[in-house]
Amino acid sequence: MIKINSKNVDVFYGKKQALFNINLDIEENQVTALIGPSGCGKSTFLRCLNRMNDVIDICRVKGQIIINDFDINDKSCDVVRLREKIGMVFQKPNPFPKTIYENISYGPTIHGMAQSKNEMDEIVENSLKKAALWEEVKDRLHEPGTGLSGGQQQRLCIARAISVKPEVILMDEPCSALDPIATAQIEELIDELKKDHTIIIVTHSMAQAARVSQNTGFFHLGELIEHGSTDKIFKNPENKRTQDYITGRFG
Amino acid sequence: MNKNKEKLLNSRYRAEKRFQFYGKSAIFLALLFLTIFIFKIFSTGYTAFQKTWLIVPVTFDAETMYLDENPSKEDLEDADYFDLALQTMFNLDKSASEKQQNDLKRMVSYFFEREIKRELLNDPSLIGKTKDVYLTASDDLDQVFKGNYPRDLPEDQRRVTDYQLKIFDQLVEQGRVESKFNLSFFTYPDSREAELAGIASSFMGSIFSILVCLVIAFPVAVLAAIYLEEFAPKNRFTDFIEVNINNLAAVPSIVFGLLGLGILLAVFQLPRSTPLVGGITLSLMTLPTIIIACRASLKAVPPSIREAALAMGASKMQTTMHHTVPLSMPGTLSGTIIGLAQALGETAPLILIGMVAFVNTIPGSPLDPAASLPVQIYIWAESAERGFVEKVSACIMVLLGFLIIMNLFAQIIRHKFEKKWS
Repeated sequence: MIKINSKNVDVFYGKKQALFNINLDIEENQVTALIGPSGCGKSTFLRCLNRMNDVIDICRVKGQIIINDFDINDKSCDVVRLREKIGMVFQKPNPFPKTIYENISYGPTIHGMAQSKNEMDEIVENSLKKAALWEEVKDRLHEPGTGLSGGQQQRLCIARAISVKPEVILMDEPCSALDPIATAQIEELIDELKKDHTIIIVTHSMAQAARVSQNTGFFHLGELIEHGSTDKIFKNPENKRTQDYITGRFG
Repeated sequence: MNKNKEKLLNSRYRAEKRFQFYGKSAIFLALLFLTIFIFKIFSTGYTAFQKTWLIVPVTFDAETMYLDENPSKEDLEDADYFDLALQTMFNLDKSASEKQQNDLKRMVSYFFEREIKRELLNDPSLIGKTKDVYLTASDDLDQVFKGNYPRDLPEDQRRVTDYQLKIFDQLVEQGRVESKFNLSFFTYPDSREAELAGIASSFMGSIFSILVCLVIAFPVAVLAAIYLEEFAPKNRFTDFIEVNINNLAAVPSIVFGLLGLGILLAVFQLPRSTPLVGGITLSLMTLPTIIIACRASLKAVPPSIREAALAMGASKMQTTMHHTVPLSMPGTLSGTIIGLAQALGETAPLILIGMVAFVNTIPGSPLDPAASLPVQIYIWAESAERGFVEKVSACIMVLLGFLIIMNLFAQIIRHKFEKKWS
C-alpha cells in the first residue's frame, strides 16, 4: 500500500534549486531509507513531508505530496494537523529542557488527547515502553530530560514523536550523534515501530540503510537517481551512479 | 636555522609575557581607581550615619506653656512650646547677653521645639518636672563634634561662634553630648537644614519612578522583542526598525528628558516633578535596553527546540509561548534589571522634568512630587553647608548599594535559571 505519493517535487532555496522533480512513493508500514552523499537533498525532501521547510523563509516547495488522498502542499492543508499525523525525529537529540514526563506529555496536551491525569500517565508510559526507554527512566520521570545520555535522549525524542500516535515518522539521521550500542538500540526500535507506523529514515550509513529498511531511495545532486526495494538497490542497482556510491567509489 | 627558530620561539614567549603584564597592569590600575573611589566615599560619608545630640534638662513649666491646670491631650497638642524651648536653651547659661542667647538658640536644630513637645506628649505627667531631653544639635556643631569642622579658623570665618564652642565644650565635659545612629537620615525627607535632611523622599521617589518604568517598559519591550524576533518577516522595514531600536539605546538621556518635558508635561499636562512623569521618561530610555536583551536571549534559544515543538504540531504561537519565551526569560529579566539599574542612576532627564525641586514631604504615590536618589546627590552637592558634604557621600553609598544589589540579583537570575543545552 502506498502511504505517501510525491509528484514532481521541486524545492528552491532562494534562487538555488535544491531538489529536481522528485517522484517517490512510500510504502505503508515499511521502512524507507533515503541515502546519498552530503548536500544531495535527502534531508530537504524529508522536511517537505511535514512541511518543516515552511520555517525557512527563503525556501519554496513546488509539486504535489499526497498523503491519505490529500495534497499537503495545498493551501487548505493545516500544518498543525499534518504534523500531528507525521512525527519527526531529528539528527541531534533535542528534548525540551523539561522533565521526561513533560517531554512526552507535551504533544498529547496541545492536541487534547488525554481527558484525565490517568489517561496522560498511560500515554506517557506506553510511549516510553514503545521507545524501549520505560525501564530505564520509570523511577525518574520528573527529572530533566536533558540529564539523560545521548542514546536515551534520542529514544526520548522518539517516544515524544510517537506519543501523538502519528501515522508516519520521519527520522533525519537519528543515529549520527550516537555510539554503536545506542545506534543498535535505535535500529531495533525502528524495526519494532514499523508495525504501527510508516517510517522514513535519512541516513549516511549504507550499512544502516541495508539493515533497517525495506525500500531505499538514492539521491544525488538534488535528483532521485534510483529507488526500489533495498535488496535490489544494494545487490543489483540499475544506475551506474548508484552502484558507484554503494560500492564506496564516491560520497 | 635551528638558532633562528629558537630565537623566534623565545621572542614569541616574551611577547606573551609582555601581553600578560599589560593585562595585569590594566586590571591593577582599574582596581586601584575603584579602591580610591570607594575609600574616598566611605571616609567622607560614614559620619553621616551618626548624628550628634545635646542632652539638655527641660523643665516642663506649665506657666511657660500657658497651660491651665489639668490640661487635656488636646490642650497639650495645641500648647505653645516656643517660649519653653527658648527658656530651655537660655538656661544653659543664665548670664548670657541677648546676642549670646541668640547663639544658644542656634546650637540646636530649629526643629527642637517639636522634639520637646513630643517628649511631653509621650508622658504628660512630666508637667512641673525636669527631664533630660535629647535635642538634635545644629549641623555646624554636629560637624565640629565629628571633627569635620576646623576650630582653628578665625572666628569671623566660622559659622560657629567662640561662645557656642565654649558652651558646647562644657556640655561635652558634662557628658551631655552624644552621638547616635542617624535614623532620621533614612526616615526624614529633604530639608534645608543639613542635620534634618534625609533621603526618604528621594528614596521613595526613586522606587516609584522605577516601578512606573518597569510597568511600562517591560511589557512593551518584551512584546516588541517577541514579535520582531519570532514573528516579523525579515525585510527592509524590520531591518530599519532594528537599526532604530539600536539607535534609541544610544540616544543621550537628556534628550529623553526634553521629550518628557515637551510632550508629557507640555502637551499631556501630567503633574510636574512626579515619579509618574519621571518613570515614563525613564521607560523610554529602558525600552531599547530590554528589547535588545530580550531579543538576544530569544536568539540564544537553540533552533532545535523550536523545530522540536513545531514538529510535534505546536502552532507558531504555542512554540513561542510554551518554549522559546520561557527559555529566554532569565536573560530578559537580568537585562531588565540592568536596564532598571541604569534608569535608577539617571539624573539628567529627571532634572529636566522637574524632579530636582526641593521636596520636603515623603511621596505616598507616583503622583506626588518627589526627587530621586541621584538628583538628591546633585541637590546636596550644590548646597554650601558643610553638613551636606557627608550627606552626598552617604547618599552615593545608598545608591551604589542599591545598584550592587540589583546587579547581583540579575547575575543570580541568569546563573540559576539559565538552562544548560545538551
